[in-house]
Amino acid sequence: MANERVIPWQPTVIAGPKQALLVTPETAELMIKKAKRPLLILGPLVKEDPVLSYATRIAEKWDLPVVTTADAYKSFKDKGLDPTAYGVVEIVNLLKDPEWQGVSGKGQHDLVIFLGCIYYIGSQGLSTLKHFAPYLKTLTICKFFHSNADASFPNMKDEEWFNYLEKMGKED
Amino acid sequence: MIVVAPKQKSKLKDFKDDFWKTKDVKISLGEIASIDEIAEEKREVESSRVEGPTPKPNITDLRSWDMKLMGRYEPFYAPFCDMCCLCTFGKCDLTNKKGACGIDAAAQQARMVLLASCIGSACHSGHSRHLVDHLIEEFGADQPIDMGMNIDIQAPIMMTVLGKTPKKLGDLKEAMDYLEEQMIHLLSSCHTGQEGKSIDFESKALHAGLMDNLGMEIGDIAQIAALNLPKGDEDAPLIELGVGTIDAEKPVVLCIGHNVLPGAGIMDYMDETGQEEDLEVCGICCAAIDISRYNPQAKVVGPISKQLKFVRSGVADVIVVDEQCVRTDVLEEAQAKNTAVIATTDKICLGLPDLTNEDSDRIVSKLVNKEIEGALILDPAKVGEVAVKTAKILSPERKTLKMLPDLDEVQKLASECTECGWCVRVCPNGQPMMDAVVKASEGDFSKFEELYTNDICYTCGRCEQECERDLPLMSMLAKVGEKLSKEEKFNIRAGRGPAQDVEIRRVGAPIVLGDIPGVIAFVGCSNYPNGGKEVAEMAKEFLERNYIVLTTGCGAMSIGEYRDEEGKTLYEQYSGEFDARGLVNMGSCVSNSHVVGATIKIANIFAKKPLEGNFEEIADYILNRVGACGVAWGAYSQKAAAIATGVNRWGIPVVLGPHGSKYRRLYLGRADQADSWKVKDLRTGEVMEGEPAPEHLLYAAETKEEALPVIAKLCIRPTDTAKGRQIKLNNYMDLYKRYFGELPPDIHLFVRTEKDIPITYKKDVQNILKEVGWEPRKVAQEPSLMGMDGD
Repeated sequence: MANERVIPWQPTVIAGPKQALLVTPETAELMIKKAKRPLLILGPLVKEDPVLSYATRIAEKWDLPVVTTADAYKSFKDKGLDPTAYGVVEIVNLLKDPEWQGVSGKGQHDLVIFLGCIYYIGSQGLSTLKHFAPYLKTLTICKFFHSNADASFPNMKDEEWFNYLEKMGKED
Repeated sequence: MIVVAPKQKSKLKDFKDDFWKTKDVKISLGEIASIDEIAEEKREVESSRVEGPTPKPNITDLRSWDMKLMGRYEPFYAPFCDMCCLCTFGKCDLTNKKGACGIDAAAQQARMVLLASCIGSACHSGHSRHLVDHLIEEFGADQPIDMGMNIDIQAPIMMTVLGKTPKKLGDLKEAMDYLEEQMIHLLSSCHTGQEGKSIDFESKALHAGLMDNLGMEIGDIAQIAALNLPKGDEDAPLIELGVGTIDAEKPVVLCIGHNVLPGAGIMDYMDETGQEEDLEVCGICCAAIDISRYNPQAKVVGPISKQLKFVRSGVADVIVVDEQCVRTDVLEEAQAKNTAVIATTDKICLGLPDLTNEDSDRIVSKLVNKEIEGALILDPAKVGEVAVKTAKILSPERKTLKMLPDLDEVQKLASECTECGWCVRVCPNGQPMMDAVVKASEGDFSKFEELYTNDICYTCGRCEQECERDLPLMSMLAKVGEKLSKEEKFNIRAGRGPAQDVEIRRVGAPIVLGDIPGVIAFVGCSNYPNGGKEVAEMAKEFLERNYIVLTTGCGAMSIGEYRDEEGKTLYEQYSGEFDARGLVNMGSCVSNSHVVGATIKIANIFAKKPLEGNFEEIADYILNRVGACGVAWGAYSQKAAAIATGVNRWGIPVVLGPHGSKYRRLYLGRADQADSWKVKDLRTGEVMEGEPAPEHLLYAAETKEEALPVIAKLCIRPTDTAKGRQIKLNNYMDLYKRYFGELPPDIHLFVRTEKDIPITYKKDVQNILKEVGWEPRKVAQEPSLMGMDGD
């Protein structure tokens, strides 16, 4: 079925009429370019290669401040990034506070890119931001379609997903 | 400021020496009190002397306390659904809009939490009402409540909330009446057009949680007192646990649910008729725990995750369901295996004919001859007789049904898989069912075995419902696991009930001062993200670190299904004593009340805080001084929501697994907002800087590796002595370093003076403190939220 790519990976997380916009790596890159204070959140599902390297390259290419959730911190620290560790619910809680000054202390973020959080808790966090953080956009570049985000990659198999991530991390 | 000083209801006149010179004295003989009245007056004064400000609190009586909690731990909402579907104004989309009634998304989430807490609370309390009424009918209202020799504080929650101690079964009715009245008001608040603000829905949810805690205590006290379950017995017997312990050659009666009465009826009938050895009586979920508390011969199959697998195995000749946590398709599933079903409570009737007043033998005849699909029998004694007789007749003719399809057939079925992948997509945990099927089609069952082991697949059966080829995936899993299930032979310590007062006396000081680094309660259900092993591993970690580990219900069973390197279960390795390195199985779901009860007792026994009607002072004490933390790694139900909400109100933080985010609401603290951690030192009256201890009140962790250091951190309390704080920080740092590779970045927040720094990490911590410009700070001697803003 054609629409299998754009219904939530776990179809029952569908929450209401508002659904994420399907994006390609190119559109995702445009969103990052446009953002003033983007943030990359990396979860425990991407703490091993090859996605560990893809994620690292994306962070480096776009000079993104990085937050890791669960125990993803060590893997990305070892890769040379300088992440900040939060529980996924903690960082979402901070993101929903318009007064929070962001991980760099320069002001609340305006774009949050999620990659590698456990699907259902990630979906819940995106739901929080959809409802309570209207000032920021959310983008997910997991291999699953996240309907609670503003923009999301579609459901994909590994190979296609790796290609997407590679494109996003490739120097122009 | 709330004053806890005694309220004197009647004050004697202050007669002076020159009384006889006093003019205009009138004496009315008619007003002279009788001796009985004087005695009554004395009792009233006695009673009022210890009664705090909120006996039998109504919904809003503890609201100021709730607001204090929420001042620190602001509700965090993660809508599960963007819409409100409760009334015909809607459906209403609440995404940055209000509903037709005016409700916003935050209030709607809070309302759903209140509703969930009401459901959960009603579940435990309905169960307790059933127990109380039945046990009074059987044993009389004067049946004394005696919780054992070393337990004077028999009902700490009841004492604190109601201001009264129950002495006999009949006294429990007053508590039930109060609780039921509160529940009606709470539930009514959920109606369209009533409460409108999220924080007030929250306050009501906290009240519903408190009623849940009270209801659980009533239930467990009633059954302990009347059925003589273990009374705080640290040496409660070891009970057989696991599918492998069930002798399928014998007639097998399986009890599923939470209410001990039908199971007790079965055990009694077997005893009375001398058939103790002739049948197997086993249980799934809390009924199993409580029946084995009643009679250690009963066996525990395991937690709720065993339910579909075990029913599908066909081992049970008769399934007796009571209430709560029973698969609602149990009748259909049982019929497929020619297993008889007996429903036993008004909560689950399953469309079956009510044969309570029918002759037992006639019911048996109807069941075995398939004249009826099953029977509803509301008399536990009759359930016992019918279940045993039916199982004995059915067992020989069901021999062949106790076998699953053979492995060749599983392979053949697997070869029909179209590899659409939807079994994985609908799995709550995304477990690789399709890979297991594909491998099985090649004759390799190892992936199925991986799913079977430790209940990584908790057999909800969603995959099966979705399969476009209608493959019986759960039966296939059960068959592959059959070989493994034979090795599932463990021991679990029977639920012991409450902690003894003498134990509390012994550990109160070390807990409050921090020498014992914490009391951690592993409770909840079995919808774990990665199977039950993680719960046992977490319990083991904290046992080895000298914590007191409490457990109940399915959590207790999951812990029992784990063997360490020496092949021993944790129950065989650690004592059941309420002390450091004790693994204390308190019992079933309703025994969760004893977890709260233990913390209340600490406030009373160690700190001499009066309990009666004194909720806020006790909760304030627990929040600031008792290093307790609940862990519900697999919380799935509304009952778990109610339990957690209730314990939160007492000031006890709870860590949930990742599925806990679907409860829609957490209570998260903000370590970066120093003002929210201010406390008042009751010794000096000074309001001073505090620390984020405990940092969160309700938290969902994504993985076990994240949860472990968080749990250790949430045991930190402002009153820790320097030595105690060193111990707690050492554990937190150890665990954080293990999974994050370095020391926690927030360590400076918990170092009050240099003396708090653990010796093993001294230099590293000193460097961190220097980097962040740390300054030592004054430590409150009696930190409290009482007397702060809002009072």
